[in-house]
Amino acid sequence: MSMAILTDITKCIGCFECVAACKTVNGHEADKPYVFHINDGLSAHNWTSIVQKPDKHFVRKQCRHCLDPACASACPVAALHQTSEGIVIYESHKCIGCRYCMIACPYGIPRYDWDKPVPYVQKCNMCYELVKHGKQPACTAACPTQATIFGERKELIAEAHRRIEEIPGKYINKVFGEFEVGGTSVLYISDIDLGFLSYVVIPGTKALPKTTATAMEAVLPTFFGVGAVMGGLHWLVRRRQKLQRENEGSEG
Amino acid sequence: MNRLDVFKSVLWTLTGLAVATAITRFIFGLGAVSNLSDSTPWGIWKGLSVVPGIALAAGGFVVTAVIYVLKREEFHRYAKVAVLIAFLGYLSAATALVVELGLPWLVWQPVIYWQFHSALFEVSWCVMLYLGVLLLEFLPVPLEETSWFAGLRRFLTKYKLVLVFLGIMISCLHQSSLGTLFLITPEKLHPLWYSALLPIEFLVSAIAVGPLVVILGVLVICYMYRKEADRKTLSKLAYLGFIVIVIYGVIRFVGLAVNGKLPMIFDGSWQSTVFLIEIALVLVIPIVLLGIRKLRYSQAGLAIACFSAVIGLGLNRANIAGVMLQVPGSQYYPTIYEVFVSLGIVAGAIIVFLFCVEHFKIWDVKWKDPRERPEYCPRFDLGSDVWLGSPGVTERVKYSLVFALSFALGFALMPQDRIESKGVEEITVQKARGGDTLFIDGNYDTFGTLFDHARHVDSLGQKESCVKCHHMNVPLDKESGCWECHSSMYTATDIFRHDWHASPNGADIACDVCHEPQQERQKASAKKCRDCHIDLYADNTADIPDTYLAVSYVDAMHILCVNCHRERAVADTTRVALAQCPACHTGPQPDYLKAEMRDELSRPAPNHVMMPPAVLQVKEE
Repeated sequence: MSMAILTDITKCIGCFECVAACKTVNGHEADKPYVFHINDGLSAHNWTSIVQKPDKHFVRKQCRHCLDPACASACPVAALHQTSEGIVIYESHKCIGCRYCMIACPYGIPRYDWDKPVPYVQKCNMCYELVKHGKQPACTAACPTQATIFGERKELIAEAHRRIEEIPGKYINKVFGEFEVGGTSVLYISDIDLGFLSYVVIPGTKALPKTTATAMEAVLPTFFGVGAVMGGLHWLVRRRQKLQRENEGSEG
Repeated sequence: MNRLDVFKSVLWTLTGLAVATAITRFIFGLGAVSNLSDSTPWGIWKGLSVVPGIALAAGGFVVTAVIYVLKREEFHRYAKVAVLIAFLGYLSAATALVVELGLPWLVWQPVIYWQFHSALFEVSWCVMLYLGVLLLEFLPVPLEETSWFAGLRRFLTKYKLVLVFLGIMISCLHQSSLGTLFLITPEKLHPLWYSALLPIEFLVSAIAVGPLVVILGVLVICYMYRKEADRKTLSKLAYLGFIVIVIYGVIRFVGLAVNGKLPMIFDGSWQSTVFLIEIALVLVIPIVLLGIRKLRYSQAGLAIACFSAVIGLGLNRANIAGVMLQVPGSQYYPTIYEVFVSLGIVAGAIIVFLFCVEHFKIWDVKWKDPRERPEYCPRFDLGSDVWLGSPGVTERVKYSLVFALSFALGFALMPQDRIESKGVEEITVQKARGGDTLFIDGNYDTFGTLFDHARHVDSLGQKESCVKCHHMNVPLDKESGCWECHSSMYTATDIFRHDWHASPNGADIACDVCHEPQQERQKASAKKCRDCHIDLYADNTADIPDTYLAVSYVDAMHILCVNCHRERAVADTTRVALAQCPACHTGPQPDYLKAEMRDELSRPAPNHVMMPPAVLQVKEE
């Protein structure tokens, strides 16, 4: 069962209740203007934020919970991994602090405790503890206008398409997150383009872990292949030297 | 001071600075000494120390493969140097990782938590395994100096070929998997560097430059210890490197051509310039210098070619692992402290290298001048028979002093402000957007008030004043309300002052004047106020108030007055002015009533500035 969050940008009034709920539920300390921050409101203490765009457009930014997450594929110790609900969670006790997830994430979501001697990666976990017990995440529960809702991914995609078709021209005819990087669990419908939510350029529909899959599958064959080739070479060279010596011996 | 002394002093200085930085980093976190940030999570520690360091350590497996697998015995004398360079290269990369990782004490965790899809998982396994292999490969060298562990040494020497094979197999995986690391970032890495062939490019370039690093090491040592380099053998080794560099060049450019990226090389962007520099260093100069036989056999030609290739490969790895991986808008530049660590690790590796060269039989080269050998230093002054001390001890004292001094200097240089403020950004003070005087909903209660912003900034301490009202604590509480500081205006006050009544300096009355004797002294059983202060009560007040709490100043002014004013204004439309601010707030017209100010205020703004009723009505008319 794949759970998802659908955010309707046209319904968001920018009240920050989701951000406040997120902070309360996760017990995050006060935020300061750190030099480490990207200017999008997300930080080690803010797992969701509201990006304000012109003409009263408020866009909630949070972890997209990709269906095939690049961060989880990059993590060398599986500290970041996907649950059966499709949620990408982080287990801090496994983390070694390599920050490869931050390099890999196409949306630039994971943030880091740069000011702490024992730092961890920080990102939205879609309130996994609540979802596991059949509740909904704090952010969607807090939304007063139902702009951001929680449910099963299939149903939410159907609902998104229903809304788009209901009033033609109200939305951009696209569910953001339906196909990007192989699909994400956090979906948006909007009347403005949401390309700015991604890190650099709008990612394609190919899941990023697939880019390394070929190389990773070749690991064991390469290992033994190299060994075999080197062994063969070694055998050839030795045999040639032996023959050479025998020739020299017979000539002499 | 000879050249070796100067060189070693510089190395120990750099090491001292690096250790001071590393200690600060472990106490105060990565942000205290580095410019790493959420937009640039990997800096020069990974981009200059780890990734290029490992690439340049490839000489170990390439040279041992040539010697032990392909049986090219003429290079045998360089086997130990190659293994030592590889070992130190990997050790320095591992040291850099320990400083760079967030939780370095858990660096071994890939051993228990497996993740086969991660290139970094493969990298960490390879580093750990190959470090072990290199240690075992190198161990016989120091063991030669002692009679202990002779069995172990014989065992390791006997099974050397197994170690060599393991080293080759692990290294091939490892060098290529470093390229795999960056396959997952197609949208971040610049297209001139991104290629699906990155793992192969990494492997081939490491094989190409690996032997050149060994040659460069040999040349440097020969220069430092005034030895004669065996140019003939070195040039032969360089020729092997040359062949692989050509192959690397072909792979690189065919890759670019197939993907149609060749025009990007000359598009004039700074990235293309860096690309051209890199190609010149790693491909053009070595190919020209090593391809021409005469230049290859000259010491200068060989040295320049190797140096250029080493720098070029380092640049290539730094570009891929950092420079070209950046996000537009992020402005990363390394701090001086990051540079300290990167240089200090290299310096430390070179110190260990020199130690091994001086104390172990790394190779058997003729000394150019036998008197330069450390063993030949006179322990007695031959003329006067004065004991000059063991040269080893004096050296130890000298370099310890250099290290301690630079260590102390490093601590003195640590960024005090960064450590104390823990990375809090310096914000320049700006004037309030609406001018010096604002009309704000100061208490979030829909009552507007005039707020003298400039005066508050002045009286609360200029630069330090901002945070007293503006916070980022929780999203809904970005600015303090007026009541949070001016609480006395908002709290109801008890008008009965018990202390004053009992005090000798006040009313000075005994307890039993108010409280009944023999009874528990409490409010209910005490005398009522009007029993004494009858003169303060109007004649017709029969009821006794339950509480002596007086309404607060603000409530007294606003709730008590305004509510009534409003009711009257609504009841009698000819007296609208009664409910407008100037009805009570007399005096000169405030700024906000000026026409341009009114336009400013009528726009919806997120900062709680709202219009007073008077302005609204003026606007409607």
